[in-house]
Amino acid sequence: MQVGKSPQMYDPTLWHRLQFAFSIVYHYLFPQLTMGLAWFLVYWKWRALRTGEERYAKAARFWARIFGLNFAMGVVTGPPMEFQFGTNWGEFTKFAGGVIGQTLAMEGMFSFFLESALVGALVWGEERLGPRKHFLTALGVAIGSWLSGFFIIVTNAFMQHPVGHGMSEDGTLHIADLGAYLLNPWGLVQFAHNQMAALVTGSFVVTALGAYLALRGRSAEQARLYLRHGALTALVASVLVAFPTGDQQAKLVARHQEPALAAMEGRFQTQSSMVEITLIGQPNVRERRLDNPIQVPGMLSFLAFGTFHSEVRGLDAFPESEWPTNIELLYYAFHVMAGLGTLFILLMGLANLARWRGRLETTRPLLWVLMLAFPFPFIANTAGWITAELGRQPWLIYGLYPTSEGASKIVSSGNVLFTLVGLTGLYFVLGLLYLFLVGHEALRGPDAAPHGHAAHGQPGMEGTP
Amino acid sequence: MIELWFGILAFMLIMFSVLEGWDFGSGALHLVVAKTNAERREVIAAIGPLWSWHEVWLVAAGGTFMVAFPKAMATAFAGYYLALWLALWSFMLRGISIEVGGHLPDPLWQAFWDVVFAVSNVVLAIVFGAALGNVIRGVPLDETGVFTLAFFTDFGVRGRVGILDWYTLSVAVMTLFLVCAHGATYLTLKTQGPVHERSNRWASRLWWAVAVGFPIVTLETSLVRPGLFHAAMQRPLAWLGMAAALGGLVALVTGRRRQLEQRAFAGSCAIIAGLLGMLAVGLFPVLLHSTIAPEFSMTAQQGASSPRGLQLALYWWPPALLLAFGYMTFIVRQFRGKVRPSQDHQGFY
Repeated sequence: MQVGKSPQMYDPTLWHRLQFAFSIVYHYLFPQLTMGLAWFLVYWKWRALRTGEERYAKAARFWARIFGLNFAMGVVTGPPMEFQFGTNWGEFTKFAGGVIGQTLAMEGMFSFFLESALVGALVWGEERLGPRKHFLTALGVAIGSWLSGFFIIVTNAFMQHPVGHGMSEDGTLHIADLGAYLLNPWGLVQFAHNQMAALVTGSFVVTALGAYLALRGRSAEQARLYLRHGALTALVASVLVAFPTGDQQAKLVARHQEPALAAMEGRFQTQSSMVEITLIGQPNVRERRLDNPIQVPGMLSFLAFGTFHSEVRGLDAFPESEWPTNIELLYYAFHVMAGLGTLFILLMGLANLARWRGRLETTRPLLWVLMLAFPFPFIANTAGWITAELGRQPWLIYGLYPTSEGASKIVSSGNVLFTLVGLTGLYFVLGLLYLFLVGHEALRGPDAAPHGHAAHGQPGMEGTP
Repeated sequence: MIELWFGILAFMLIMFSVLEGWDFGSGALHLVVAKTNAERREVIAAIGPLWSWHEVWLVAAGGTFMVAFPKAMATAFAGYYLALWLALWSFMLRGISIEVGGHLPDPLWQAFWDVVFAVSNVVLAIVFGAALGNVIRGVPLDETGVFTLAFFTDFGVRGRVGILDWYTLSVAVMTLFLVCAHGATYLTLKTQGPVHERSNRWASRLWWAVAVGFPIVTLETSLVRPGLFHAAMQRPLAWLGMAAALGGLVALVTGRRRQLEQRAFAGSCAIIAGLLGMLAVGLFPVLLHSTIAPEFSMTAQQGASSPRGLQLALYWWPPALLLAFGYMTFIVRQFRGKVRPSQDHQGFY
């Protein structure tokens, strides 16, 4: 053994991947809530405008405060991703920057300018703007945030299922057909699936706060509003996440990323008909089997290909070099997502049943569950994205460009680990701040005046140095 | 086509510098022009609802850099790996401090975030100044076509340079003075009472400092990149930049004499935009200048993506820009005039 032969600590690509994965998972905790909440704000502002009822204006005002904090976290944690294309994934950027750069630049030009111009006015410009313009501001922010999601998903869809591109003489990619690139079928399905999932997050959070207020016996009118609008939206969105969007997404994976489907389901052997879907089980990659499986016969054939008699190829049908690189995590992530998604439909079905019977605000055990359920959509969204990104491995652009080629050549593992650790520390502090401030806002509730104005009303506060 | 995209990228970075320049400057002066809590809230409110719109110019420029010059972006960003991450962290702290500072009506909480805000703005002004110095001076690109930079080496400007040397440091200090002067001019326009008085006084001092420093840095630049001025003077666009800067100077001086605050501020913007425009014209076509030997430099042509992609991006870029200005106009019209603390109290967002 030669000491000091290799100054590199392991494979740098692993650290590059870990840093990107960590920063994007953390970042996306915030935009999913932003995109979900935005339409609640639009709806309440609109109702306030049409009916003149104060409860809608109050709801919008209260949620705008939480929305603003959440939005700010998204703004602050977003740029590291764009930078990482250059700093950490330089070879990939050289190869594919001409394609993915288009949508990343579009995101900046079309949605960030829109959102960033309007969000300040949305949160604290109600007096200056008046009700009509304030409603339009909310609408603009909502559109901007969904547009932003669209461009990012088109970018990701190209990596999952590249279409519309061409190869230049210098060996780099360019866009040959902008329409095909933007309207990538994978992207459209993924966008629909993802946006519905964001709506699930937003509506679960709204419902949870309503449940909290109801349990505490505070702001009864607002609690009722959040519970009713939240639970109904949550049910509709949860159903849409599963069907048709999730179903279509699974069919795309089955058609275009067969090894990913096999790994998601932990199928090591090909089976020609009545292939069962796995509800519970642990993939044992070394032994090439699924330990202690609980399965439903025929369902995988049906869900993936539409008939019970379709063949589903297992991992044995593909060379190991094409297998996703982390089969266990991929399997668990997929099952966590799908399992939680099913539970969401059941829970919100129950909540809407209670509502229909007029007992939503008074059934305390149900309110407890609804209050404590809000973290789970965040977990399900994250698990879904882990499924998508691990299923794509070992490719950076599926079938076109391997992940192992993409990292910047001159950036060492140690440097990446340094920035990853720094980022972790900073994000930990940001997370504490966020939880503290949102928690503070939530506990104060919708009937408290915003701090800014409260501070102005208190003599003595003003002159405090 | 390459010229056009070089121009677009330069335009976006100049927009960022002018707009975010006054935010950096106002933020950096925050603690000295505003003494009480209420005054500090006034400064934050003056920075106003558009600071993140300003920041988007940098983010959008990043995307544009990627779509137009992916090879140059990959080379430069990887080369500046650690420096860029430090800049990103400062950006995060600044964004967070402006957001959460007004959130709790507690004097210690606010005082803490005020200091974080001021310090991160000073750091960012210096970082962007050093970055500008690096763009002018160049990077140690050699025959391998890649480079990495130490934070500093021997403080020289040739060969194996570091990020900081005597030249980039002096550009950084100069930038700090310039954005502070710019910020003070902006605060003079947007505030009233004691904050207005102090901003006005600081604007005078800082513009004098800029007036003293600028010729020195210009002389240094002519030593570090001898061909730059020559190249610029041969291109008519550079004269336009020169005219903007000189016109801005006249507007600034007369505006400040006669207390025409809008004119002074417009002059301040024109000076920065004109100088940077002139610089961009002079730098073309080199994107990454090599301090090792000129033949290793990366030109815009070499760093660019395929002509087809550049052509495509031209279809959507102009309408997107018009929309961006549309939103800005809407907001600026809503928030025009002096800050009204009772209305514009920026609790947070």
